Amino acid sequence: MTDHAHYRSAIMADPHDADPELLEHRESCAECRAFTEQLLRFEARLERALLVDIPTPRAVVLPFARKGAQAPRRWLAMAASLLLALVIAAGVWLTLPQRSLAAAVVAHMAGEPDAWQLTDVPVPDADLNAVLKDSNLRLKPDAGVVSYASSCSFRGHKVPHLVVQTPSGPVTVMVLVHEAVRKPKQFDEQGYRGTIVPVPGHGSIAVLMRDLNPGSGDVERIAARVDDSIVWTR
Amino acid sequence: MNDEVGGNKRRARFQALCQSLRPDLLRFAFWLSRDRALAEDVVQESMLRAWKAQDSLLDETAAKPWLLTIIRREYARTFERKRFPTVDVDELIAKEEPMLAAAEEQDISDVRAALMKLPDEYREPLILQVLMGYSTAEIARELELSGPAVLTRLYRARQQLRAACGEDLRLDPQE
Repeated sequence: MTDHAHYRSAIMADPHDADPELLEHRESCAECRAFTEQLLRFEARLERALLVDIPTPRAVVLPFARKGAQAPRRWLAMAASLLLALVIAAGVWLTLPQRSLAAAVVAHMAGEPDAWQLTDVPVPDADLNAVLKDSNLRLKPDAGVVSYASSCSFRGHKVPHLVVQTPSGPVTVMVLVHEAVRKPKQFDEQGYRGTIVPVPGHGSIAVLMRDLNPGSGDVERIAARVDDSIVWTR
Repeated sequence: MNDEVGGNKRRARFQALCQSLRPDLLRFAFWLSRDRALAEDVVQESMLRAWKAQDSLLDETAAKPWLLTIIRREYARTFERKRFPTVDVDELIAKEEPMLAAAEEQDISDVRAALMKLPDEYREPLILQVLMGYSTAEIARELELSGPAVLTRLYRARQQLRAACGEDLRLDPQE
């Protein structure tokens, strides 16, 4: 015999439970039938609430490797396509490369709000080393307190994303071994002030501070200090 | 030549599969993380892992639960890599305001706000049940819990949601 409390507990866990005993109780109990109807109305609200709008699809980037020989008759067409793509890419690179890189770095920050905590608790050495080892680097002991370390997806590569606590507040460092820049590039966008500095043979380093940090004008000096703190292992 | 054609077909099929399931996967990742940007990153990373591990998918009709499992693990890995401080739910809600408030009706927005505040251990089985259509046994298998434990969490999830939305919670009409 199913009582009200048992029935309601079961139906709250699964409103579509078709257990015969539950169905029998519902048939015989007007109050529990009313309870179920109310619950199912709420369930419909819940289902609609979970169906959040999905933003415009971003291309799914998959690591498709092209293997095997191409048919000879396609060579010319492929070579021409490749040349055209290179010319276009070079043109884009020469006109807007650093601006787009800075914008991408700032956009990445927007997805990592938790990184900006002011704290003196360092990331465990094992976690930090795990993040750094794939990029073949380590930090000198005097680099400062690293309070956040993550291996992040950035423009198709895994990059170390660190937060170093400095006297001027938390500073984010992204080690961009796949992003070569020709000269330092300062930027001040969306509340972030930063610089991207070239590291010969190792891409570049992006250093950012929140604009509201006191002393955030020192970002170039901090970037130089961060650069000095990195030991490349390869 | 045949290998190339086969490879292209395989890629195209996998790409189509990912694209068709992407809305569900993104919603799942969003409600798991309550963070749209993080959800996108987790789904993207999961797709890459899925592509590399596609030989382990023996039955294409099981692709959705297979991908959901990969997303759950990838999301867990994100937590292992990062040191998340205590989450301020009100900040999360404010951050995701455009997505949460997209509903025209206030009652839907209220449920979304309540879902954001629901503890992870209650929210996750609820998403699997309501959004993904998992049975209690499937949820138990996915979350490595017993059946009764799943039912308890689902019960508490609805109890907390309904309380937050001002619904009648009496288990006994005589109360």
